[in-house]
Amino acid sequence: MGFSINAGLLDAMVLSIVQNNDTYGYEITQYLRKAVDISESTLYPVLRRLQKGELLETYDKEFMGRNRRYYRITPQGNDSLEEYREEWRSHKKKIDSILLNEGAESNEQT
Amino acid sequence: MNKLEFLTRLRNSLERGGMPVEDINDALTYYEEVFMDAGFGKEEETAASMGAPEDVAVNILRESGITPPPPPVPQNIAQAPQPQQKKKPSGGAIAASIIIGVLTFPIWLPVLIVAVVMLFVIIVVLFSLIFAFIAAGIGLIVGGIAALFEAPSVALMALGAGLIITGLVILLCKPVFGAAIPACGRGIKKLFTWVGGLFKKGGKENV
Repeated sequence: MGFSINAGLLDAMVLSIVQNNDTYGYEITQYLRKAVDISESTLYPVLRRLQKGELLETYDKEFMGRNRRYYRITPQGNDSLEEYREEWRSHKKKIDSILLNEGAESNEQT
Repeated sequence: MNKLEFLTRLRNSLERGGMPVEDINDALTYYEEVFMDAGFGKEEETAASMGAPEDVAVNILRESGITPPPPPVPQNIAQAPQPQQKKKPSGGAIAASIIIGVLTFPIWLPVLIVAVVMLFVIIVVLFSLIFAFIAAGIGLIVGGIAALFEAPSVALMALGAGLIITGLVILLCKPVFGAAIPACGRGIKKLFTWVGGLFKKGGKENV
């Protein structure tokens, strides 16, 4: 079984991957596969959305006689990623407090 | 399903959804790249991992704020070419795609014809080579036997050469008739199928 990944989380993860390195679609999917069961076709709408929101921009680079589309994070993308990270930290803490009984003092509600 | 079929079906579905041409091209560039990055030998596998192109299209359309149209009647790509394109397009995008198709006609038709002819030529050359080898082999053997008593040394050389050629023919027959010629045949058929698919698309949208 697995936990479902929502669109926001997927956006955030893609932004983070691209922030590390400019990269291309296929490689992004390969990275994401380490954590999520996702196919190349799931990624395209995500990339499109991020591009339209001007969080990512693209450029073409030659690779073995053809063009490969690379994605680069924009300043807005960096800001947005920081927000996502902050949100994730607090979200993760809340979930952990219930699921892993962490910080049990703070939620003694019987 | 191979790459070509996947991309063709994806394009058809996106066009049916009324997506702007440049967005369709953007999506197709992406998916074509995925196929190339996954590797040449993995087309079937890659297509399978992405699911039906019609479903892929629905997700793309939804993301661009288009309500996907109901699924169309399944179409059989492997149909005979329909070289008649009806006029009277019913929308801007369709009109544009037809105009582009017609305008580029002088470019892709000769290319297609050349490709088909080349494949056909390869078949003919292979056949004639085999035939020539058989004839040469038989000729040399028969000639060798005939001249055996008049000029034994020449005759033996001719016989030997004839046997070598016959042996080569026997060795070559299987790969040539079993693999090379059918491969060319399949190539020709694929080209026709592909063109058939293009026309099918055009024809369908004009109904």
